[in-house]
Amino acid sequence: MATTTVSSIPLSLNDRITTAILALLIGGFLVFGAGLANSAVLHDTAHDVRHSYGFPCH
Amino acid sequence: MIVKTLLAALVAGLIAGVFMTAAQELRVVPLILHAEEYEVKEPAAEPPAATEGQQQHSSLTHSSVIGEMLSALSPVTPAYAHEGEHEDEGGIMFGMSRFSGTLLANLVAGAGFGLLLAGASLVFNYPVTLRNGALWGACGWLAIHLLPAIGLPPELPGFPAADLHDRQIWWIATIVLSVAGLYLVVLRGEIIAKIIGLVLIAAPHAYGAPQPSDISSPVPAVLGAEFAVAALATTLAFWIVLGVISGYLNDRFLKSA
Repeated sequence: MATTTVSSIPLSLNDRITTAILALLIGGFLVFGAGLANSAVLHDTAHDVRHSYGFPCH
Repeated sequence: MIVKTLLAALVAGLIAGVFMTAAQELRVVPLILHAEEYEVKEPAAEPPAATEGQQQHSSLTHSSVIGEMLSALSPVTPAYAHEGEHEDEGGIMFGMSRFSGTLLANLVAGAGFGLLLAGASLVFNYPVTLRNGALWGACGWLAIHLLPAIGLPPELPGFPAADLHDRQIWWIATIVLSVAGLYLVVLRGEIIAKIIGLVLIAAPHAYGAPQPSDISSPVPAVLGAEFAVAALATTLAFWIVLGVISGYLNDRFLKSA
């Protein structure tokens, strides 16, 4: 077996930066909504999850 | 290609979220329910009024009639997370059962963490593969769960805690510094980078996490200890699953393109 050359996510530099920013923005938004957003409905829905992930909670 | 990369991260996160729900139901959720029995008995130990005041601004009132019917039919009790404040209750979205709420939140959080993992690997230009997926996951767990837990251990309902906003700020800052620090320590060869990395990781702990002034609690300490270990163990499992699946999907669908 060839030793794996891990250098190839086949993206150009520009695409890589775009993808990274998109992934971080969307991911951050989702985690914020599930874990940190200060809304009673979101809090109660995600209550057990917030506690089990160790998010700071009420 | 961009879309494919994002989709792979999303799918890995959703799968890990389902796995996480199962793991939580086994160990973590029973401990939360147990702790809530004590929290209800002694409402005096509720968190400071400031955080509750902010929570009351929800525009959504009680769930609809249909929602109530649905939750009445459900075998699972709805999450009245804090029984003492019924009139201001936000209630669970769409009148779902407590379990569905947890599942939904896990899917959302899993997808979010999956995308953050992919984003980090792109920023550092170090792809997640099947071979290193578990290590990527372990580093994610270190940065997002274990290192912040040194200052703010996972809390049960009813535990004393400092102001919510302060804790959230400290928590986010610690994660950002830990990610940067781990990158310098793990992926950079230079000695000086590793030293700076360690300093970054230690900095928020030297500064100190916001602590409550009164640490008495109606919830037994044994429950808290069991919960802290269970929460950290399940999140570690979650992150390793997330890393391995992300690596598998990347190997399978992104390399060939």
